[in-house]
Amino acid sequence: MNWKQLFLRDGRHLRILACALIALGVVTYLVQGQMIPETFGDLGPYRAAALEELKSRPSVLQSDATCLKCHDHVGEERAESPHKSVGCLHCHGIGRKHVEIARRAEKSEEIEIPAVEEWDGNPLTKVDLYVAHNKQACLSCHGAVVGMPEAFRKIVVADHLEEVGALDDLDEETIKSKGVCLECHGNHDPAP
Amino acid sequence: MRDQAGESTDCGCSGDCADSGESLARREFLRGATTVVLGGLSLSYLSVAAADINSDGQSQDGTDGSAAQETGSPVTESPAGNPPEGDILFGFLVDTGTCIGTGKCLSACRTENDVPEGNSRTWVERYVHFKDGRLQVDLVPETGYAGSGLPLIDPDEVDRSYFVPKLCNHCEDAPCTQVCPVHASFTSPEGVELVDPNRCIGCAYCVQACPYGARFINPETSSADKCTWCYHRIMRGEKPACVEACPVDARVFGRLDDPRSEINKRLAKVPASVLKEHLGTHPKLHYLGLSGDVT
Repeated sequence: MNWKQLFLRDGRHLRILACALIALGVVTYLVQGQMIPETFGDLGPYRAAALEELKSRPSVLQSDATCLKCHDHVGEERAESPHKSVGCLHCHGIGRKHVEIARRAEKSEEIEIPAVEEWDGNPLTKVDLYVAHNKQACLSCHGAVVGMPEAFRKIVVADHLEEVGALDDLDEETIKSKGVCLECHGNHDPAP
Repeated sequence: MRDQAGESTDCGCSGDCADSGESLARREFLRGATTVVLGGLSLSYLSVAAADINSDGQSQDGTDGSAAQETGSPVTESPAGNPPEGDILFGFLVDTGTCIGTGKCLSACRTENDVPEGNSRTWVERYVHFKDGRLQVDLVPETGYAGSGLPLIDPDEVDRSYFVPKLCNHCEDAPCTQVCPVHASFTSPEGVELVDPNRCIGCAYCVQACPYGARFINPETSSADKCTWCYHRIMRGEKPACVEACPVDARVFGRLDDPRSEINKRLAKVPASVLKEHLGTHPKLHYLGLSGDVT
C-alpha cells in the first residue's frame, strides 16, 4: 500500500487528525506567548528584567564615603580613633536631602547648602541632617546592656565621672546637661 | 465497501499480510505528519523567540530611560564606590563576638528598604545563659535596650551572654527557591537570593520552606519579602544598609571571589561556621565565634 492509496482510504480521518494537531500547536503557541513574561529565561529560570527593577531603587542611607568626599577632615580625625568604624549617620542622621542639595550646589553657585542649624533636626525623619550634641547618642552604644562583649567600653555616666575624677571639675548643671560627654571627649576622635 | 475493495486490489494475499502492510504505511504516514506538525511548531517558536528579543531590546531601552528619570541624579551621578565588575560572588560575615546589640542595623534596614512595621528582614537575637542553667533568648529592640522599657536583667545572675544578628543566609542550595511554583524566587548571577515581586503570587510556600525564618509576606505588596543584601546598593558599589550602620564592624559584606576582600581576610583568620549546616543548604552567610547553642 502506498501513500496515495492510504489517503484515498483514510483520507478524512487523517485530515482531521492533522488539523487537530495543528490547532493544538497554535493554541499552545498562543497560550505560552501570554503566560511566559518577557526576558524570562534570559539569565536563568526567572525574569531577567527583575534584576534591573530591583537595582533601580534609590539608596536612602548615605555612605560614609559620600560624606567624606566633602568632609574629608572628619575622616582624618576618625582614622586612628576607636570610632573609626562608627558611621556618620549615627550622630548626624542619614542626611539624604543634605547630599541632594550639596550635589546641586556643586553645579550651580546660586544654590546654597543650608547651615546645619536650619535642618529639621529630627532623628526620626532620618533623611535630614542633625548634630547630636547629646549624651543619648553616646549612650545608645556605650550604655551597659547584658549581652555586650567584655572588651566593649560600657559607661554609666555617674560612675564614669567618679572614676575619672571629673566630679570636682564640673558643676552640677553641666553634669546633668545633654552635652556632658563632650566636656572632656572630642566628637570625631573621642580621646579625652 | 471501498475500503474492502482497496484492500483486495492492493495485495491479493491473506488478511494478515494486508494488515501489517497497512499498519506500516499508517505508521509511516503518522511519522510524516508528526514531523511536519512539529517542524511547523518549532518554526513558530523561533519566530516567538525572535519577537521576544526585539521587544526585549525596546522595553529595556524604555525602562532604562524611565528609571533614570524617576530616580534622578543622586543614583546615577555619584555612587559611593565603583560598581562591581567581573564574575561576582557575594558573601556576608557576622562576628558575634563584637556585636553590641544596639539595633542600629535594624532601623537602618527598615528605613532603607521600607520594611513594614511588624516584619523584619534582619533581626538580632540575644542569648542569655543564667548561672542556674536557664537560657533566655530575646529579640533586640530596634531602638536598642536603652529606653525600650524591657525588664532589665541582673548581670550578677548571668553566666554568659551574647548577641546573634540574623538575616537571609543566601544559600547556594536554597530551599525557598526550589519550592517556588512560579520562579519568582531566584538566585541572581552574583549569588544573591531575590524575589521578583511582579511574579510572586504570595502563596508563602517559600516562607515555610526557609529553615532560617528569613522570609515573610509583605502585607503591602502581598509578595514574599526578604533580605536582598540591599541589592540596589551593592550593585552600585555601596555596602548593605545594615553593614553601613553597624558601629563595631560586626557585619562584613564583600566578594568571596576576591582573595583580597575584607570578608576573605576575616574568614581566613578564624574558623567560621554557618547556621544549620546539617541541612546542606550551603549558606553564604558565615559566622565568627558562633556558640554551639545557637540554632
